[in-house]
This record gives sequence, C-alpha cells and structure tokens, in this order.
Amino acid sequence: MKYFDELKRSMEFLAADPRVVFMGQAVAVPGTAMSNTLKDVAPGRLIELPVAEELQMGMTTGLALAGQVPVSIFPRWNFLMCGLSQLVNHLDKLAVMSNGGYKAKAIVRTGIGSERPLHPQHQHVGDYTEALRLMCKSIEVIRLDEPEDIFPAYERALLRDDGRSTLIVEYGDYYSEK
Amino acid sequence: MMTAQDLIAFEDEVAARFNAGKIRAPVHLYSGNEAQMIEVFKGIGKNDWVFCSWRSHYQCLLKGVPPAAVMDEIMAGRSISLCFPEQRIYSSAIVGGVLPIAVGTALAIARSGEDARVHCFMGEMTAETGIAHESIKYSRNHRLPIRFVVEDNEKSVCTDTRAAWNQSKLSFENQRDEYIHYYRYQTRYPHAGAGQRVQF
Repeated sequence: MKYFDELKRSMEFLAADPRVVFMGQAVAVPGTAMSNTLKDVAPGRLIELPVAEELQMGMTTGLALAGQVPVSIFPRWNFLMCGLSQLVNHLDKLAVMSNGGYKAKAIVRTGIGSERPLHPQHQHVGDYTEALRLMCKSIEVIRLDEPEDIFPAYERALLRDDGRSTLIVEYGDYYSEK
Repeated sequence: MMTAQDLIAFEDEVAARFNAGKIRAPVHLYSGNEAQMIEVFKGIGKNDWVFCSWRSHYQCLLKGVPPAAVMDEIMAGRSISLCFPEQRIYSSAIVGGVLPIAVGTALAIARSGEDARVHCFMGEMTAETGIAHESIKYSRNHRLPIRFVVEDNEKSVCTDTRAAWNQSKLSFENQRDEYIHYYRYQTRYPHAGAGQRVQF
C-alpha cells in the first residue's frame, strides 16, 4: 500500500459522489504533487482558481452552505494560513452561529511541505496541525501518518452526517517515501 | 413588506433596550437608509440568499424573518452575526468575511442551475479591502448570479474612509450595474451601541 496511491484512490472515491467538487490552484492543471492525484477526475469536477487563498476558503464555505461538498486544496500549510480567517471564523463557527441551522460539510486538504530531496527553506515547510486543532471547535483535523490512514479519513469526511467539516493534512515527503 | 416606519420603530426599540442595559452584547443599528434598503429588497426573491455584516437587522426584517424572531436573537446576544437558514440569511461580524462565502454560494447556484441569486451587503470601508476586489472581480468575470450592495455611511467606526485612504472618490462610489449597487446615507447612530453610555 503506497501513500500516493491511497491519496489518488481517495480522490477518485470522492469524485464518485455528485455533490463533490474539487477547487484550488493546480487542481485542473499540473503544478503540485497533489495535482497528480486528481488526473483521472473528470474535468467538470475540477475548479481551477486563481491564487487567492482567502477567496478560495470563503468560497468553500459558500459552496458547502448551498449543499455541495467542496474539496478545497491548499498545497501546503503555509498557503492555507492565508485563508485562516475564513477557516476559523466562518467554516468552523457556522453551526454555532446559526443555532445548528446551517451545516456545512467541506473537506480541506493541505500538506506539510516536502523537505527532501530539496529543502525549500522556512516559508514552504512546517506542520501547523496541532495549532489548528487548538483553534478549531468543530472542524476535525486529521493528519495522515500512514498509507492505511488515508482512505478511511476521506471516507469518513465524505459520509459524516454530523454537520462537521474535516481538515486533512498529508506529508509531502511521504509521496516518495511510504 | 416592512415599511420605513416599521424599520425605524424596530431599531428604536432595540436602541431603547440597549440603552436600558437589557442587551448584554454589542448592537450595530441602521438609521437613515430605510428607503434605499426597501428599494434594494424589491430585487430580492424568496429563494435568494442574503449575506450581511454585523449590521443586518433591516435585511432580516425585509427578507421576511418575523420581527419577534429577530428581536429574540438580538436579545440572546447574536445581533452581530444573525443567521436565519429558513430565509437564507447569513451574517458575520468579520470585516469582509461574507464576501467570498457569498461568491461560493453564487457559484453553487450557477453550477446547479437553481433559480436564485445572491445579494451581499458591505460598508464602504469593506468595499476597499482586497477580498472585496477579489470577490467582485471573480464574480463579474465568471458571470455569477450575485449582486454586491455597498452601503456608504462615510465611516468605519470613527475612521473617515476617504481620509484614511486619501481618496476622495471611493472605488465603487456611485456605481450601479448588474453587480454593484452603491448607495450613500447618513446615520444618527454610532458604529456600535445606541448613542448613550450604558453601565452594565
């Protein structure tokens, strides 16, 4: 069981659900390692966005409000941080702000920047998973440590009926190491 | 449909309750823009979504939330983030927070083909933020079913928007088109509260 293969299988599993739409930069075109996990997803399900992280994260919530299940992809933690206000102040607080009336199920996918064989230095690496767990009250934050963790995490994220969103963190280095 | 007098009376009641120390949470009141708001809502349908800021009492009433229900939420301390799923209303206390969310909902409508539109309200300072420009540009360029309503009361808390940006004419000032509905008004209430210092 390989880390990359499990990610790809999980994306294809998600794509089988008509509610699911994938969004981000380099989802419909090459650009990151994550792009390769989507190459067999139908183009109509891939929304290629400009580099605008706050816009992307807010749109994620808006799509979820309207009944879609967006898979919002940020290639690394450092980029997702540009959208943290939307994640923490809105997606995470939606249910409590509306007395449980609004339920937004979104899947946010991000990664810990790869350090090998090329180390991109300070602003493209780092694991902020624990910090996000402390910030979030309703979003479940899952880090994918092993290949066997991957599919169950995405399956759970898609099928959950508790109104919660899921933030799933992967390791860039594991694409070639596990 | 609520009349201008109904809106004024409602807000006056909120002000009175706040000044009497009965609302233990901040309130942000409208005044002076009743006619403009009623005009805006002539173009808002039952199935449409409305996204607002911390100041949203008028939108909730005009969208059809019963006044008693709005007042209950205000008394419960939720004036700055009123949400009514049945009427498709989402409000947020974060500057520019609802703008990209509104864009996402408009995108969902475009993808599904539902007969509905999105209406997103913001003040004039919010309209100058980067997220406002991104949200409007993306929506306009992708022809999404959304309209942005810019409400210019000339102030951001106590900051004069034009002076702070050193710009006499704001980015969307006087614009009226398919995507932008700008209007200007003056209010008798401060940014927060109802004009009297309240000792809690």
